[in-house]
Amino acid sequence: MRRHARLRRMFAPYLEGGLPPKEARRVEDHVHSCESCRDELARMGEGLRFARKLARPGSGDAIRPPAFTAPGEEPASLRPPRGGRLRFPASERWDRLTSPATIQTAMALVLIAAAFLAVTGRRSSLGERAARLAKSSGLDVSDYQPTRIPDLPANTRPYIATEGYVREVYLDPVERTLHFKLVEAAHGIGPFVICEILSPAGMAVPSEGSRIRVYGVARFDAQPGRQWYEVNPVLDFLVLKR
Amino acid sequence: MKAEAVCEGIAGAPARDLQIAAAARRGETAAFRELYDAYRDRIWSLVLYSVGDPLQAQDVLQTIFLKAYRGLPGFRGESGLFTWLYRIARNECRNSLRRRPAPHMSLDAILGSRDEIEPAGAADAAETSRLLLRDAVSRLPAKMREVLVLRYVEGLSYDEISRTLGCAPGTVASRLNRALAELGDRLRPLRRAL
Repeated sequence: MRRHARLRRMFAPYLEGGLPPKEARRVEDHVHSCESCRDELARMGEGLRFARKLARPGSGDAIRPPAFTAPGEEPASLRPPRGGRLRFPASERWDRLTSPATIQTAMALVLIAAAFLAVTGRRSSLGERAARLAKSSGLDVSDYQPTRIPDLPANTRPYIATEGYVREVYLDPVERTLHFKLVEAAHGIGPFVICEILSPAGMAVPSEGSRIRVYGVARFDAQPGRQWYEVNPVLDFLVLKR
Repeated sequence: MKAEAVCEGIAGAPARDLQIAAAARRGETAAFRELYDAYRDRIWSLVLYSVGDPLQAQDVLQTIFLKAYRGLPGFRGESGLFTWLYRIARNECRNSLRRRPAPHMSLDAILGSRDEIEPAGAADAAETSRLLLRDAVSRLPAKMREVLVLRYVEGLSYDEISRTLGCAPGTVASRLNRALAELGDRLRPLRRAL
């Protein structure tokens, strides 16, 4: 039995043609007289024929590993919530947050917010929020269908209000939109929805880790490589927990 | 670079690996880019052959390199960077497979899609063969799949596989035997098509 095991370890090198002649002869002598090893060698030979056709995933593949993008760099044309490039988590994205484009956007945001506060003289109340939502969608807050993230697939109403934790906030430099992932669970893997703010300069940016209620239009993004639910556009959001 | 990393000795990592790791630890983006560019394709092979789905593979690859980025301060150079990365990748692939939801079958798969009825062109046939092979490999048990990919996709020697996986060469040989036999059994019905 031990002899079988010892010889069988030589089967793959034998089939690959990598055994010295003396060892190859030992294998041949053994399989000549041992039916089970002969069968095993035949199965392996069949497998080797297929294994030799294995190739490193290459240019023929539709989906390739993402190219490296350093913090602060932006690829020429990508909208990459999933895949498109190697992304850094919040702690390592500081460099990106300090890039000129982001700083310009942030400054515009601050200026607009300051102007808004100067005009109104107070922070936005729920009544104002309702009025803003009514202006942007023609609906009141109560007209937005409260929908949990896992229930989105069953939802048929376009205007929804959904709650979750904010993750992976990033600015799309090409489309000039702000994206973030809204997840059901604060930690770990769970259902999510991609949220898109079309005019980031006109709305505050939710901070990662905060829990918010998002008002917006529910859509299913059916593009190849995505196939996820979106709130696009986000018309407003309310911070529930910072 | 690649050859250096693969041919690392038992004693530890090649000097270049240590330089890259040190530079990346200091926050030099170029060093991490070099690490990523050097090993991305090889780690991608493992991931794609393990999880099967290219989209999921992209997520897993990203997680692997993020973990590597965070873990570089703990890299002591006892093995080469490839071996170190490969271990992160193995764990992440396993985690990913554990987390994967139950497989679902598309309506096309149940009813038969148009493509199955219409004769495929040569390019389609090659693509189909590649996908069938990849699918069969991804269904092998993890230990068999690893040696198969390292041997026939990455072209590593038995000794290199043994060092990368941290197991005896005899174990590599017996896993490879089982992997080949299993692959032969699974694909035998398709041998005329492949």
